[in-house]
Amino acid sequence: MRYQNATAYRFLAPYLLIFSIFWLWPIIDSFLISFQATRTVPWRFSPTFNWGRLIGDPAFFNALKNTLLILVIQVPVMITLAIVMAVLLNSPLLKARGLFRFAFFAPVVVGEVAYSAVFRLMFNLDYGIINKLLNSVGLPSIDWFSNVTPAMAVIMIAVTWRWAGYNAIILLAGLQSIPQDVYEAATLDRVSKLKQFIYITLPLLKPIIVFCAVLSIIGTMQLFTEPFLITERGGPGGGTETLGLLLYRQGFRSLNFGYASAIAYTMAGLAIAISLVQLWLTRDPK
Amino acid sequence: MAGVLLNNVVKRFGDFEIIHGASLDIADGEFVVFVGPSGCGKSTLLRMIAGLEDISGGEIAIGGKTVNDVEPADRGIAMVFQSYALYPHMSVEQNLSFGLRMNGNPKADTDRRVKKAAEILHITDLMARRPRQLSGGQRQRVAIGRAIVREPQVFLFDEPLSNLDAELRVQMRVEISRLHKELGTTMIYVTHDQIEAMTLADRIVVLRGGHVEQIGRPLDLYSDPDNQFVAGFVGSPKMNFITARVLERGASGVTVELAGGTRLTQPLNGPAPEPGSKVVVGVRPEHFGHAGKGDADLSVTIDVVEHLGGTSFLYASTAAGDDIVIQRDAAEVSDAPEITVSIRKSYLFDDKGRRLR
Ligand SMILES: Nc1ncnc2c1ncn2[C@@H]1O[C@H](COP(=O)(O)OP(=O)(O)OP(=O)(O)O)[C@@H](O)[C@H]1O
Ligand SMILES: [Mg+2]
Repeated sequence: MRYQNATAYRFLAPYLLIFSIFWLWPIIDSFLISFQATRTVPWRFSPTFNWGRLIGDPAFFNALKNTLLILVIQVPVMITLAIVMAVLLNSPLLKARGLFRFAFFAPVVVGEVAYSAVFRLMFNLDYGIINKLLNSVGLPSIDWFSNVTPAMAVIMIAVTWRWAGYNAIILLAGLQSIPQDVYEAATLDRVSKLKQFIYITLPLLKPIIVFCAVLSIIGTMQLFTEPFLITERGGPGGGTETLGLLLYRQGFRSLNFGYASAIAYTMAGLAIAISLVQLWLTRDPK
Repeated sequence: MAGVLLNNVVKRFGDFEIIHGASLDIADGEFVVFVGPSGCGKSTLLRMIAGLEDISGGEIAIGGKTVNDVEPADRGIAMVFQSYALYPHMSVEQNLSFGLRMNGNPKADTDRRVKKAAEILHITDLMARRPRQLSGGQRQRVAIGRAIVREPQVFLFDEPLSNLDAELRVQMRVEISRLHKELGTTMIYVTHDQIEAMTLADRIVVLRGGHVEQIGRPLDLYSDPDNQFVAGFVGSPKMNFITARVLERGASGVTVELAGGTRLTQPLNGPAPEPGSKVVVGVRPEHFGHAGKGDADLSVTIDVVEHLGGTSFLYASTAAGDDIVIQRDAAEVSDAPEITVSIRKSYLFDDKGRRLR
């Protein structure tokens, strides 16, 4: 038995080796680096150098605030939208279901740069289609990228556009796993369609909704592409800078690896903490 | 309390006609079983009565009132599904009370009905559990309980026992029978198990391919089937069918010759088929007797013997190659490879499967 295990591990060794070097070690190493002062040569051990700075850094708190703001508005809106989309997709009245499914999923496979460019164009002050639409109903143009609030809105809209369909497809799978006869039983029980949705569909879909929410929370915590490309590196004036962007700025522009590592660990920690709270809040009462 | 009337009911899915005009008058308090092979339209017919499928033609009335356009919830029916269809996220108690609560039924009355149903079905101890914490039989009870709580005029059951093991099936069968006596409510019950049909029904409706083949009391179907299909469907083991040829029509009836040369004369009131035409003689396994003690004798070769204790089944073949099953008392079974049996009672069917009588 023990001998067999040893053989198995020898076969696994190449994988484990590569896994350790390229996956495990960077994670451990970046944790260690976050305790190093990396602005001096050579680096020296100093637990407070990065972590101490983090606690008092206005740029960090700005990025944290922006990230959380996007999180608390965008994730619920997107999940709600995704549920609505999934229910519509699941409706027997819908024609050309395959086409819609493809259309909902398509944003995920569009290249990030291309989609960001399109969003920049759409929200352009002078010739963007959004302002044209606003003008056509008598509203004034909005300078989307020069003010913080509209810029944040653009980011939330973009992220929602990109991921709502993806979540809708996951939720659709959940919807389709609810047996039809449960609804028939409810129909015989004189329960209206709306009440069926509230008292049957939503509770049965809850694990999947939570799953989607956790995925979205993790994704939004790492938000980078949209503020980097659409609002041009967190503009205006850092107004849309997220933690992901701050990390990039510290690590790749200032080459301050220690501080970047500390930020990365903070992001991961927050994502885990928020997801756990989410799971705890929505746990099955037992 | 209400009877159910089906008048020439037709169901089409697109261009495809599934039910070809079913007519049936179910009396108040009657226990009617729809039986037939898989895909014959039993569930479809039941779901049309429930209102879960709309009616392509004809009329359905419950309690004297046409319900073609009445919402399922307003038809006074309750349905028990084959898959139970319990609400997975609710406790047994909530499963039972959900419909009443959603409709604003007074709490005291809801509690009373739930309590009563739970007592009838002996599930009082299970009220706090979720469906997945129940055994199949317990789930079935809850599903029936949910139907009882509605206090319907008609109960509809769609193969409620088919997911249970054999022993539990027998037990639940008895319970459903008891429930019918206790409540006295009209029940329509779908099954493809002819034993369930025979034991439960006041009347059986035999369906095949969307046609009603015969309607009658269980023993009438057994002893006086209208056609070869019903004769083969009712009774276990199945009726044996032996091909034969018409010889002549005499004063005492029609004489046919079985493939082995055995001659059999049957009384006949209706018209007889032409001499020489092909007919089928049906003999139930229990209607074979000892040689010389019946209408005709038949020599067979024994292939396999099954001993069930009190009775035995002999699987045999005739000289002409027809496979037949003979039921015997275990004590009377010998080791002889060839025996002669008598046909004590038989049925005659023409080449289209219609009964000749
Ligand atoms: N929604 C539908 N669309 C098209 N055809 C259908 C539909 N539902 C049922 N059918 C067809 O109608 C016929 C009868 O189906 P039904 O479910 O009533 O059979 P059943 O007698 O209940 O069979 P089983 O014993 O297997 O449950 C079948 O041939 C089936 O393929
Ligand atoms: Mg069926």
